[in-house]
Amino acid sequence: MIFYRLIVSLFFLLLTPMIAIATAQASDGLIVPLFEDVTPTSGITSVYKGDWQYMVGGGAAAFDCNGDQFPDIALAGGEGAASLFINKSTKGSALAFERFESGIELNRVTGIYPIDIDADGITDLVILRVGEIVLMRGLGQCRFERANEAWHFASTDAWWTSFSATWEKDAKWPTLAFGAYINPKSEDNPWGSCTENQLFRPNEDGNGFTKPVALTPSYCALSMLFTDWNRSGTPSLRVSNDREYYEGGQEQLWHVEAHQEPRLYTEAEGWKFLKIWGMGIASTVFPNELYPSYFLTSMSDNKLQVLNGAKPDTSPAPLYKDLAYDRGAIAYRPYTGGDLKPSTAWHAQFEDMNNDGYFDLFIAKGNVDRMPDFASKDPSNLLMQRPDSRFQEVGDVAGLARFATARGAALADFNLDGKMDIVVVNRRENAAVWQNITPNAGHFIDVMVHQTGPNRDAIGAWLEVDDGNHITRREITIGGGHAGGSLGWRHFGVDSAASVKMRTIWPDGQADDWATYASDTYYFVQRGQSARPWSPTAGQ
Amino acid sequence: MLTHGRPFLPARWLQTAIAVFFIIAIHLPKAEAASMPPETVLQKWYTLSLALIRHTPTYSPPVASRALAYLGVTAYEAVASGSPKLQSLAGQLQELKPLPPREAGKAYDEVVVLDAALAAMMHDLFSNTGPSGQQAIRHLEEELKSTAASTDSTPETIARSEAYGQAIAAHLAAWSHEDGGAVIENMGFPWSYELKKGPEHWAPTNPLSRQQQVPLLPDWGKNRSFAMPAGASCELPPPYPYSEDPSSAFYKDALETYQIGKSLTPEQKAIAFFWIDDAMGSPTPAGHWISILIQIAEHDHLPLERQVDALARLGVAMADAFIGCWHEKYRYDLVRPMTYIRRVIAADWTPFLLTPPFPEYPSGHSTQSGAAAAVLAAIFGDPYPFSDTTRERDGAVPRSFNGFFDASKEASISRLYGGIHFRAALERGFEQGKCIGAYAIALKTWR
Repeated sequence: MIFYRLIVSLFFLLLTPMIAIATAQASDGLIVPLFEDVTPTSGITSVYKGDWQYMVGGGAAAFDCNGDQFPDIALAGGEGAASLFINKSTKGSALAFERFESGIELNRVTGIYPIDIDADGITDLVILRVGEIVLMRGLGQCRFERANEAWHFASTDAWWTSFSATWEKDAKWPTLAFGAYINPKSEDNPWGSCTENQLFRPNEDGNGFTKPVALTPSYCALSMLFTDWNRSGTPSLRVSNDREYYEGGQEQLWHVEAHQEPRLYTEAEGWKFLKIWGMGIASTVFPNELYPSYFLTSMSDNKLQVLNGAKPDTSPAPLYKDLAYDRGAIAYRPYTGGDLKPSTAWHAQFEDMNNDGYFDLFIAKGNVDRMPDFASKDPSNLLMQRPDSRFQEVGDVAGLARFATARGAALADFNLDGKMDIVVVNRRENAAVWQNITPNAGHFIDVMVHQTGPNRDAIGAWLEVDDGNHITRREITIGGGHAGGSLGWRHFGVDSAASVKMRTIWPDGQADDWATYASDTYYFVQRGQSARPWSPTAGQ
Repeated sequence: MLTHGRPFLPARWLQTAIAVFFIIAIHLPKAEAASMPPETVLQKWYTLSLALIRHTPTYSPPVASRALAYLGVTAYEAVASGSPKLQSLAGQLQELKPLPPREAGKAYDEVVVLDAALAAMMHDLFSNTGPSGQQAIRHLEEELKSTAASTDSTPETIARSEAYGQAIAAHLAAWSHEDGGAVIENMGFPWSYELKKGPEHWAPTNPLSRQQQVPLLPDWGKNRSFAMPAGASCELPPPYPYSEDPSSAFYKDALETYQIGKSLTPEQKAIAFFWIDDAMGSPTPAGHWISILIQIAEHDHLPLERQVDALARLGVAMADAFIGCWHEKYRYDLVRPMTYIRRVIAADWTPFLLTPPFPEYPSGHSTQSGAAAAVLAAIFGDPYPFSDTTRERDGAVPRSFNGFFDASKEASISRLYGGIHFRAALERGFEQGKCIGAYAIALKTWR
C-alpha cells in the first residue's frame, strides 16, 4: 500500500508544480491535501447579492434531495434568488452540478439549513431571510413547497441570520431556535437594535409549532448551535453574537430543557463573559477527549474554546479556556497575499480533509464590506490538525488561497470518492467549488445514521470511531457554521486503518455495541439493525 | 339690544382679531421656517460620533480623543466664523493656520455652515468605519440637509453656506492629517516592536490575542498636540523604583491593588464597571466625558456658543491628555499589576477588569479625567451637581456627582478597583491631567 501511494504521489509530483509543493510539505509527516478549483466547470453559478442587509449571511446547505446519496447543494442568494443545484457527479468524477427549479427560489435569503422536520424521510429546508422565515417541506426529487401554514409556523419579519434545532425529550417534532440580527428598519442607528431571537417548540397537537418563546436578551446572533456540551444527554443552545451591534451583550449559552422556559447559563454556573464579533460556531471533539470544543469565528483573533478542568465522572461547569493561539488556530490575519491587516472569519467547519484521523478546520474569510482596517485580500484558511492537537495552515499549498469575499460554506464529499470537497458562497461574486484531489489521502469511512419515528436523522446522536490509534467522537447536530449546514454522510478519516471499530450513541443515550467496519466504505446505520455497507456504483 | 345698539363693535373687534391673526400667521411660517436649532444639529452629530467611536475598530481611547478634539474644533470654528462673540482658535492651537474667510457682505445660513462642516469632518474622521457606520453618516447627512436650512434662506445662500462649512472642514482635516495620528494600522498595534527587557517593564497581558503581544500606539506621545506645546509639556516624576522587596513603596502599591481587588464591594465593582470605558464597548473615556457635557448642555439649555466653546476646550484637553499620558507611558514603560502581582504576590490573581495592552504609568483615565474636570470646572464651576446616564444602556446604573472633580476622582479610583493600576499612577496621572487641562483653559475663545 505504501508503495502504491508512492507511485501515485510520484505521478502527481510530475503532473503539476502545485502538487510538487504539496508533496514537499508532506515531508514532516503531514499529508497536505490538494484542491482543484473546479468552479468554471462545476455548473454552480450563484452570487450572494445585495448591500447592507446582506453584509452577513450567505449560507450553503449540503444534503441529498433526490435519494441518490450524492449531496446536492442549496445556496443563499441575498437579494437574488436562492438556488438549488442537483449533484450530477459520479463516483470519483469531476464535480458536476445542475441548477434545478426546486421551489426554494426565494429572494432575500440569508441562510439555509437542511432538516427533516416532519419525519417523513424527506429532507426539508429552513430558509432564513431578511423578512419572514420560510419552512420548505421536501416533496422528494428535489422539490419543495412552503409549509409555514401547514406546520402552524408563524414567523415574524426580521433579519434572520442563524438557526439550530434539537429534538427535546420524547418530542415528536423538533424545537427550532432562530437568531435575528439588527432591526432592518434601524439603518440610521443600527447599534443596540438587535431584535428578538425565538424558540419554536412543538405544539400539543403534534402537527407543528406553538407560538415562539423569546430568547431574550438577544444580541444579534450570527450563529447558534444546540450541542450537548457537557454530555448530559440534553443539548444546550450556544449563541454567538456580533458585538458590533449589541449593547451590554456577550456570548450566550441557554439551558433548553423539556417543558421548561429556556434560561441563560450564569456566571455562578461558570459561564464566562466574552464579547467577540461572533460570526460562526464549529464544534469538534479532540482525539480521545469526551467533551466538544468550539471554534468561534470573529474579526482578527478567533477563539478555540476547550472545556477547562473537566474531570471524569463529574458534571463540568461551562468554563472554557481559549486555546486558539496556543494551538495555532488563531488565524487572525491572512497567511498569504501580502495583506497584513486583520482577517474577518465567517463559516467554520471541522472535517478531516486528508483522512489522517484528525479533524481539520476550514474557515471562510472575507471583508465585511470595504472595511479598510481589515484585510481585503483575505484567503480562507485550511488548518490541518496534527496529532498533538495543534493546527498548521496549509491553505496556500493546498490550492485554496483565493481572494474572494467568502461567507458561508459547505464541506462534503460531493463525488463520493472518500475525500471532502468544498463549496464556498462569496459576496458579490460567484460561489467557488473546490474538488479534493489529494493523491495520498488516508482511508475513511462515511456513516449515515437513521432511526424510525421522529428525529429520523438522529440529531443529537454521537458517533465514535476507534481506528486503533485514537478514538474520534462526533456529535450530530443541526446548526452552527455561518448561515448554513450539512445533513447526510458523516465523514471520518482513519489514516492507514483497513478497518475500525465504531459505535453509535443514540439521542436518548442508548449506546450500540462497538462493531468492526471496513474502511473506504459508506455505511447506513439504522437504529436496531446491523449497519449496511453501501457503495456508489460506477456511473452513479 | 346692547348688540344692536353697538352694531359695529363686535365686527371691528373681529376685524382687529382677524388682522392680528393674519399678522401672526404671516410671521408663523417664518417661525416654522426657522432652521432646525443648531444645538440639535450639534447634538445629532455628536451622538453619532460617540456611536461610531464605539463601533469603529481602530478607535481605541487615544484615537477617540483625537477625533473628538477635531470635531470640537470644527464645531467651534464653524460657529465662531459667524459669531461676534467668539474668536478663532487659529494661531492658538499648534500649527493651526487662519481658516478661510467668508465672502464679505454675503448672507450665510449659520445652521447649514455648522451642519456642512460637521458632516464633512465626520466623513473624514470615520472614513474607515464599517458599512453600518458609513450608512448612518449618510442618513444623518441627508436628514439634516433637508431639514437644517431655514426656508428663508435662498438656494444661493444655502449653497454658499454649505460650501463654506465644507471649506472649514477641509482646512481642519488637512491640518489633522499632519498630526501623526491620522493613520492607524493594525488597530494601533505596531507591526514590529521590541519589548524592553527587565521585570519592571511592560509585558503582554493577553495571551489570547496575537495582536496584543505588542503594546498599543507606542508613538502616540509624539503626536502633535493641540493646546499644550508638546507631549512632554507636563512630564511626570518617575514611578516608584521597581522592587520586589515587601518593604518597598512599589511592592506596597502592588499589594494594595491586589488586596482591594480580592475583596471588592458591590459599590466598588459598580464604579469599576461604570467607568470601564473600554474600546469597542463604550465611547471610551473621552467619549464618556463628552457625553457628560452633552447631557449638561441639554439639561441646562446651554446657548450654542457656550456649547461649542465647551466642546472644543474639552475635546482639546482630553486629546492633549492622551498625548501627554502616552508620552510618559512609553518613557517609563512600567509593568502592569497583573504581571507583577502574578509573579511576586499571587500567581492566580485576576483583576476585575481586563488589563489594557499598554504600559501602566500613568493611568490614562486619570490623566484625561483630571484634564476634563479641570476644563469643565473652569467653564461651569465646581461643585456642579449632575447625573450621568452614559452607561445606562449597557446595564450600568446612572451615577450622580457633586461636581466634575468628584466624578473625575471616581473615574480615577475605578482603575484601582479594576486591578489595572497602582495608586501612584492614579494620583500622578490626575495631576498631569490638571496640568494639561490648564492649556485648554487658557485658550482665548470669547471676544
